[in-house]
Amino acid sequence: MATTGNKNINAKLVLLGDVGAGKSSLVLRFVKGQFVEFQESTIGAAFFSQTLAVNDATVKFEIWDTAGQERYHSLAPMYYRGAAAAIIVYDISNQASFERAKKWVQELQAQGNPNMVMALAGNKADLLDARKVPAEATKVYAEENGLFFMETSAKTAANVNDIFYEIAKRLPRVQPAPNPSGMVLMDRPGERTASSSCCA
Amino acid sequence: MQETDLHDLSDDADYAASIQQGSSSMMGSDSSKRSSPSEPEGAEVVYSKDNVTIHPTQFASERISGRLKLIKQGSSLFMTWIPYKGQNSAARLSEKDRSLYTIRAVPFTDVRSIRRHTPALGWQYIIVVLSSGLAYPPLYFYSGGVREFLATIKQHVFLVRSAEDANVFLVNDFQNPLQRTLSSLELPRVVSVASGPSTPSPVSDSPSNESSSISQVNGRQRLKVHDPARDISIQVLEKFSLVTRFARETTSQLFRESHSNGFGAFEKRYNNQSVEDFSHKASNDEEKTVDEIPVAPDPLEVDKLTLVWGKPRQPPLGSEEWATFLDNERRVMDSKALRKRIFYGGVEHKLRREVWAFLLGYHAYDSTYAEREYHRSIKKSEYETIKNQWQSISSEQARRFTKFRERKGLIDKDVVRTDRSLAFYDGDDNPNVNLLRDILLTYSFYNFDLGYCQGMSDLLSPILFVMKDESESFWCFVALMERLGPNFNRDQNGMHSQLFALSKLVELLDSPLHNYFKQNDCLNYFFCFRWVLIQFKREFEYEKTMRLWEVLWTHYLSEHLHLYVCVAILKRYRNKIMGEQMDFDTLLKFINELSGRVDLDAILRDAEALCICAGENGAACIPPGTPPSLPIDNGLLHFQQDDEVL
Ligand SMILES: Nc1nc2c(ncn2[C@@H]2O[C@H](COP(=O)(O)OP(=O)(O)O)[C@@H](O)[C@H]2O)c(=O)[nH]1
Ligand SMILES: [Mg+2]
Repeated sequence: MATTGNKNINAKLVLLGDVGAGKSSLVLRFVKGQFVEFQESTIGAAFFSQTLAVNDATVKFEIWDTAGQERYHSLAPMYYRGAAAAIIVYDISNQASFERAKKWVQELQAQGNPNMVMALAGNKADLLDARKVPAEATKVYAEENGLFFMETSAKTAANVNDIFYEIAKRLPRVQPAPNPSGMVLMDRPGERTASSSCCA
Repeated sequence: MQETDLHDLSDDADYAASIQQGSSSMMGSDSSKRSSPSEPEGAEVVYSKDNVTIHPTQFASERISGRLKLIKQGSSLFMTWIPYKGQNSAARLSEKDRSLYTIRAVPFTDVRSIRRHTPALGWQYIIVVLSSGLAYPPLYFYSGGVREFLATIKQHVFLVRSAEDANVFLVNDFQNPLQRTLSSLELPRVVSVASGPSTPSPVSDSPSNESSSISQVNGRQRLKVHDPARDISIQVLEKFSLVTRFARETTSQLFRESHSNGFGAFEKRYNNQSVEDFSHKASNDEEKTVDEIPVAPDPLEVDKLTLVWGKPRQPPLGSEEWATFLDNERRVMDSKALRKRIFYGGVEHKLRREVWAFLLGYHAYDSTYAEREYHRSIKKSEYETIKNQWQSISSEQARRFTKFRERKGLIDKDVVRTDRSLAFYDGDDNPNVNLLRDILLTYSFYNFDLGYCQGMSDLLSPILFVMKDESESFWCFVALMERLGPNFNRDQNGMHSQLFALSKLVELLDSPLHNYFKQNDCLNYFFCFRWVLIQFKREFEYEKTMRLWEVLWTHYLSEHLHLYVCVAILKRYRNKIMGEQMDFDTLLKFINELSGRVDLDAILRDAEALCICAGENGAACIPPGTPPSLPIDNGLLHFQQDDEVL
């Protein structure tokens, strides 16, 4: 859940999508600014955090990167439960990964947090020659399902920070009530201090 | 695999001595109980079940079967479990052990709850928890009958299902609802009642107990904890340690060794950098956190129980020494000695090719060189046959064979991102990457039900790196998967049973840490998922991983040493974890980032010490059939689950 403290928001974000769609690569690009050609497969799950400045607030993303294989599906709810945002990733050069993305969307609509901000990322946008999933049809699909859609490339960094930025802007904010003492209620005492500034 | 006589120590002098000693001390409390008849007078047997078995250790030969009865006398109900006499001569079960576990007429007024376990693999078992908080060892119902057992009890005493856990049945629970909630939340203690007194009190301050070798040599102060149940369980733990089957000789030797110094091993170790070549960074982390938030001390440390510590690691087994293990036809003469040697030092890399084939069970230890050569050639053609099954699928055919395409696609994606930073696998069109793919695809035909699952390429990579040969690697991988296959089951039961056992081990070996995890919703131990799934493959550099694997594969001390390795690592960082109040997310991140920072040798020594310390109580935390134990063959098909996608 997104929690606000003054202008600081903590938001849990989960990445879902088919094996090899580029979930880990997107996170690595966003968090460390790197791209690794042979990114290891994700076993279990990985957790990262990254802070973004949006207008006059900062959003600290707590990012869960998951293993994509169907066999580990039963573990997924553990991660998306309580998430404020999700990025569902597919590979534009792989039709099956798009089909799988749609399944994730369905599952989140049915099981996830109803206020969840969902983004659809058509990744590997640099592989234009190999494109199998046309952008136009996807746009329609995304609009119908209330998703925010972007094509990204973890390799070239295109749209990677942007997609996180757009999510940050869309997070529902609880307007903090005027608080004379300057104290802010947060769900985790350890994070009462303002998160460090942005690196986007 | 022949593991049955692995820990037969009956011919070991120290073992015999400790049994002697144990028996004299235990006879005291035992004989005082003789007056309690195993079946009360005028009693009516209302339930009787044969082949109810306890598993004092993980070794099948050491299981003890008996008859479980419910006996009604007047308005009271009693439970008895009497082991069969003269059963199973192969098991060198002493009379002592048999009477140690016997349950003589325990009244249900002393029983708090019964927890039923229905593992996905293997037999149903129950754990009976007494009002004192102690528990009997799990009783396995080889011939079924758990439901009937519970139903019978229900006819005679007040039995309710716990609101929190449908598998917990509370006995005589007339307390207020809040109380009820609290008590049923408490998991049954893993510590088992040693002998079967109808009340666990006699274990307490009997003078004979004081003379037990362990309390004598370690001379430790009893923990000042105001929880009588806990106090008793510590004493029981002590008593149990007396008959600990694992490495008795090591235990007493180590207790002696460290006691003479007057310091706990941990203190000694932290003060001694030459012993402790633990990375600076890690120990700094640890020091830094100490003053942040007061952390409950490690009970083993407080107890000085950790006076046990692992033997110094030895250099790896080299060619010359290896030759001494072989007879003139190159049979391994004493496989147990060999496994022990490898447990303490591993093997030199150039010998791995030959030795791993034995450790994994691809070659029998008592095979001659010629027999192995023959076996190899047979297996090679067998491999070619299976490989041909997918190689002969034409592209026409593949178009109409979605499952095959998907499986192959998944493997293709994974092999190109498996250990590519190693010279052996790097570069474009690396033939070894293609071998990884061919072997995995062939395996997915050899074991079509299991198929391919992420993580398998990590397990195969070092095997191919060592074996070099395609068919040899395949069969060694097959042998490994015989044990680790359940890690990849769709229903995750192999992983669940290991993580469950891990939680029980931490509860036993570091209860403050366990409580911390419990309070912070970390009891699923999911942060250890990667460790367990691929045997720490991502946690150490390549060479260290190979060293760890060969040590684990010896199954010396325990088939489940990997779980003690988990406990050892967690204990290393317990102060940091608790001091920084890590929540689940932070913990997972922290654990993932430990990769490459853990000192393998130090951890192996800790794991060895923990395994010895935990003894049979540790083994009792690990349900039978838990990987990497071979699956219990109960006639069920293990991979019947619906194969939705792959
Ligand atoms: N060309 C290209 N390749 C990518 C991109 N993102 C990821 N990859 C590659 O796709 C493979 C799988 O990526 P990974 O992040 O591990 O996928 P995950 O399984 O979804 O986490 C890796 O070999 C990456 O190098 C991208 O944007 N463009
Ligand atoms: Mg990944």
